[in-house]
Amino acid sequence: MMRARWNRGILGVGAIAVLLFSGAAVPAQTLHLPPHEKVVFKNGLTVLLLEKRGVPLVNIAAIVKSGAAADPAGQEGLATMTAGLLRKGTKKRSAQQFAADLDYIGGTFEAEAGPDYTSISEEFLTKDLARGLDLFSDALLHPAFSQGETEKLLAQSQDEVKAAKDDPQTVILSYYSGYLYGTHPYGRPAGGDEVSLKQIRHDAVVNFYEMNYAPGNTIVAVAGDFNAAEMKAKLEDVLGAWPTRTVKPFVIPAPSPVKGKKLLLVDKPDASQAYFAIGNVGVASNDPDRVAIHVVNTILGGRFTSDLNEALRVESGYTYGAESFFDQRKMAGPFAIFSFTKNETTTPAIDLALQVLDKLHKNGVTEEQLKSAKSYIKGQFPPNVETSRQLARIIATHDFYGLGDDEVNQLEARLDAVTPEIARQVIQKHFPAENLVFVVIGQASSIGPAVKKYAANEDARPISDPGFWPPPIAVKH
Amino acid sequence: MKTIRLGWLAATILCAGLLGATVAEGQQEFPVASRTLKNGMKVLVQTDHSIPNVALYIFYRIGSRNERPGTTGLSHFFEHMMFNGAKKYGPGELDKVMEANGGSNNAYTTRDVTVYQDWFPRSALSLIYDIESDRIRDLSLDPEKVKSEREVVASERRLSVDNENSGVLDEQLWATSFIAHPYQWPVVGWMSDIEHWTMADLKHHFEMGYSPNNATMVVVGDVSAEEIFKLCETYIEPIPTHAPPPPVTTVEPEQVGERRLVVHKPAQLPLLMLGYHVPRTDSPDFYAMNILRTILFQGESSRMYQRLVDKDQIALDVSSGVEPAFDPSMVEVVAQPKQGVDPQLCEKAIYEELERAASTAVSDTELEKAKNIRLVEFYRQMRTINGRANTIGTYEVFFGDYNKLFDAAKNYSAVTKEDVQRAAKTYFGANNRTVATLVPENGEKVKQ
Repeated sequence: MMRARWNRGILGVGAIAVLLFSGAAVPAQTLHLPPHEKVVFKNGLTVLLLEKRGVPLVNIAAIVKSGAAADPAGQEGLATMTAGLLRKGTKKRSAQQFAADLDYIGGTFEAEAGPDYTSISEEFLTKDLARGLDLFSDALLHPAFSQGETEKLLAQSQDEVKAAKDDPQTVILSYYSGYLYGTHPYGRPAGGDEVSLKQIRHDAVVNFYEMNYAPGNTIVAVAGDFNAAEMKAKLEDVLGAWPTRTVKPFVIPAPSPVKGKKLLLVDKPDASQAYFAIGNVGVASNDPDRVAIHVVNTILGGRFTSDLNEALRVESGYTYGAESFFDQRKMAGPFAIFSFTKNETTTPAIDLALQVLDKLHKNGVTEEQLKSAKSYIKGQFPPNVETSRQLARIIATHDFYGLGDDEVNQLEARLDAVTPEIARQVIQKHFPAENLVFVVIGQASSIGPAVKKYAANEDARPISDPGFWPPPIAVKH
Repeated sequence: MKTIRLGWLAATILCAGLLGATVAEGQQEFPVASRTLKNGMKVLVQTDHSIPNVALYIFYRIGSRNERPGTTGLSHFFEHMMFNGAKKYGPGELDKVMEANGGSNNAYTTRDVTVYQDWFPRSALSLIYDIESDRIRDLSLDPEKVKSEREVVASERRLSVDNENSGVLDEQLWATSFIAHPYQWPVVGWMSDIEHWTMADLKHHFEMGYSPNNATMVVVGDVSAEEIFKLCETYIEPIPTHAPPPPVTTVEPEQVGERRLVVHKPAQLPLLMLGYHVPRTDSPDFYAMNILRTILFQGESSRMYQRLVDKDQIALDVSSGVEPAFDPSMVEVVAQPKQGVDPQLCEKAIYEELERAASTAVSDTELEKAKNIRLVEFYRQMRTINGRANTIGTYEVFFGDYNKLFDAAKNYSAVTKEDVQRAAKTYFGANNRTVATLVPENGEKVKQ
C-alpha cells in the first residue's frame, strides 16, 4: 500500500487548471508546444495533427462539443451513458468483439462526458495503426446502442453512483456543484444520480447521439509517432466519410454567483472525519485574468507550501491536505477550498481556512510569494507536455476553448507580468470573500450544531437519500 | 467512475513497468550509467534531454516489514518526518525552498521500501542535492513537529482506511492472511501505535534504515551521468555508513486451509477481497503469474470481466493487484458485487474461472494478447522521466539488478501456456486463499 505524503490535487480537479494555464520555460530553455497542424475536412470535422517521435505510441482524442451540461433535466448522466456505450457494440462488432480487438493490441479506450464536452480517446502502438483507427472510427461513427447493452450499463451505473457515496471525497463535488449552481446546467451531476439514471431510456441515448455527435461538432486531435501527411490521409479515409449532420450547438447560459452565505450539511452517520468545500462561482477558461488567477491560487491552495496547506496541515496538523482550485470551463466554473479533518476539529479547521482566505484579501501577496509561485509553475510545467497523450488533449481542449498555443508559448511572459498590484485586483475581483457557499459531509449528530454558525441559511440531507442537490426530480415519459 | 479505489493503484503502475520490451529496444533507448559510492550508495543515471526537467528517486530498503508490534506505521511516519526539518533546512524550509525553485516532491512507503521523489527543473539540480544530503545526514526530530505530524498521519489513516471501505477490508485481509510475517500489519500502522511511538523509536528507525548503503538513487532527465556522479561525490559520498536493518528472518508458514473474515460496516454495497500467497518478486514464476493475471483480469475481454460483469452481471468491477516484495507476499483479487447480489455468488464465479485456468490451457490468442498488453504497458511506463526513474529503481531494488529490465521482454515471451496453467494450479487453490467480505450494515453508527 502506497502512502503518498501529499495527494497533489486531492480532488483531481487542479490538473485541469494546470494543463490549461501553467506555462513554459525555465532558465535558458523556453518550452514550446511542438508544431502541429489543423485541417478541416469537407464534412466539417476539425483535425489536429502533432508528430511526437521517440516512443512508438499513437494517441487519438476526440472532443464532441456537447457534454453533461446538455443533459435534459431529470436525465442527468445521459451524455455519460452515451459516451460509455460507444464501445459496447457497433454495427460490425459486438461489445465482446470490440473488447477482444482492442485488448489484443494492448490498446486503451476512454470515453467520458465532462460538463462542457465529451471526450473519446484511444492509444495504441504505431505498428497497430490500421487496427487502432478502425476501432476508434467504429466506436465514434457506428455505435449500435443495443437495448441490452444500454440497460446493462444503466444498471451498473446506478450501483456505482450509490457505492460512490461510501467515500465522501468522491461525491463532495457533486453536492457542492449542485448547491452552488442550483438548476443551472453546471449544477447537474455529470455521471447522473440514483433517480436520473433510472429515468434514462434507450431512445434518449440514441437521440442524444444523433443530436450531438456529428463531424461539424467534433474536434479530433492525434499525437504521437507517425508521419503527419500519411496520418492525415488515413484519417480522411476513416473519418472523412462521416456524413455531415446539422447540429444545433448547445449554449450554456452564464451562471450567477451566489449572494450571501448558505450551508448544506450532508449527514453521513458513520463518518469519523468531516469533509468540506467552500467557495463560489469562479471564472471561465478564457477569462483575461486567468494567468494571474493561477498564480494567486497557487499561493492560496495550489501546492504543498500553499497558505491553506501550511495552516491546516503543516502548522496545525488538522488534516492530511488542504487545497483550493478553479475548475475552468466554457462558462464560469466553480472555485472551492477543500479539506477534511476529524469530527472534533471541524469548526477550528473551517475557521482557519476562512482566516487564510480573509488574510489573502487583507494583505494580498508579496513580491517574494509571487516569485516563488511563478518559479513553481514554470518548473512543474514541462512534465505536462511530455507524452503524446497529454499533447493530444492539450491541443484539442485549446481548440475547443478557443485558446491558442500562446497559452503555453507565451505563458512565461504572462507569468512574469503578474505584479502584486495585479494580484490585488484579481483577488478582489475573483476570490470570494463575503459571499460563500459551504458544503460539509460528516456525522451530523456531532458536527451539525457547530457548523450552523457559518450561514443563516442551512439545508440538510442524509447521504443515503437518492441524488445530491437539489433533490432529484421525477420525469414523466 | 471508479467504484473502488485500490490501495495498490500506485503499485500496479510499478508492476506495469516490470513488463515487456524487446532487448534491443530497451538497450538502445534506455542506457543507464551506474556507480557505487564509497559509502555504499548505488547511483543510477539515465540521460534524457526531451524536457528540461529531472526526476530523482531514492529507494531506502526499509518499510513496515522492518517494524514490530507497538511501532507499526513507524516507517511511514518517518517518511513524513523526513520533510520536517534538518540542520540546514529547518522545519518547513525544505518544501518552501524546493517549490520556490520550481521543484516538487513526494514520497511513498510500502511494506518493503520507503521511496523519496523529487521533480524539478535542471536549474535546481545542486539545490536538490544540498537538500537531500542535509536530511539524510542531519535530520532533526523536533518534538513539536512530531506532535503535529502524528495528527496528520492520523488524518491520513482516517481518510484512506477508516472512511474507505476497501481500505478497511484490505487491512483485515493482510492481518488474517499473514499470521507470523510482518506483512500482517498495515503500512500506515494501527491507530494505537500511531498514538504511542516515542522519540527513541524514531531515532532507532533512522539509525537502522537510512544508511547510504541501504539506499539506491536513480536520476533520470536533463542531466549527464558525469555531473550527477560529481554532485554525489560532493554531497552524498561523505555521509557515513551505519548498520543496515537486521534481516527479517520470520518465514510465513504455508497456509493449509481457507481463512475467512467478515467486516460489518455501514456501506452502500458489499465488497469482496481474496488473498493468495505468492513467492517473492524475483521468483521465476513472476512472469507467468503476471501473464495469467493479465488474461484473467485485464481489460473488458478478460475472463473475469466477461464472466462476472458482462455475462452473469453480478459484479461492477473485478480486478487483481500485487506489490513488489522482498519476501513471499500476496496477490489480491477485488470484486465489487452489484446491489442485491450475495458476494458468495461472485466468489463462486471467480473460483470457477480460476479452476478453469488451472485445469485447461489458455488459448494461443489469449497468451499473445497478454504479451501484447505487457509490451504496450512497458512503453507507457517508460515514456516519462518519472516513470523510468521509478521502473529502473524498482528493478534494481526488487530484482537485484536494473539490467533485468532489459530481459523482461525475453522473459515474457518465454512464458508458455503450460507455465500459465501451472501458475494457476500452484497459487490459486482453495487452501491458499483468504476471503474477506464487507457486509453493509446500515442505519445509525455502531458505538465502538
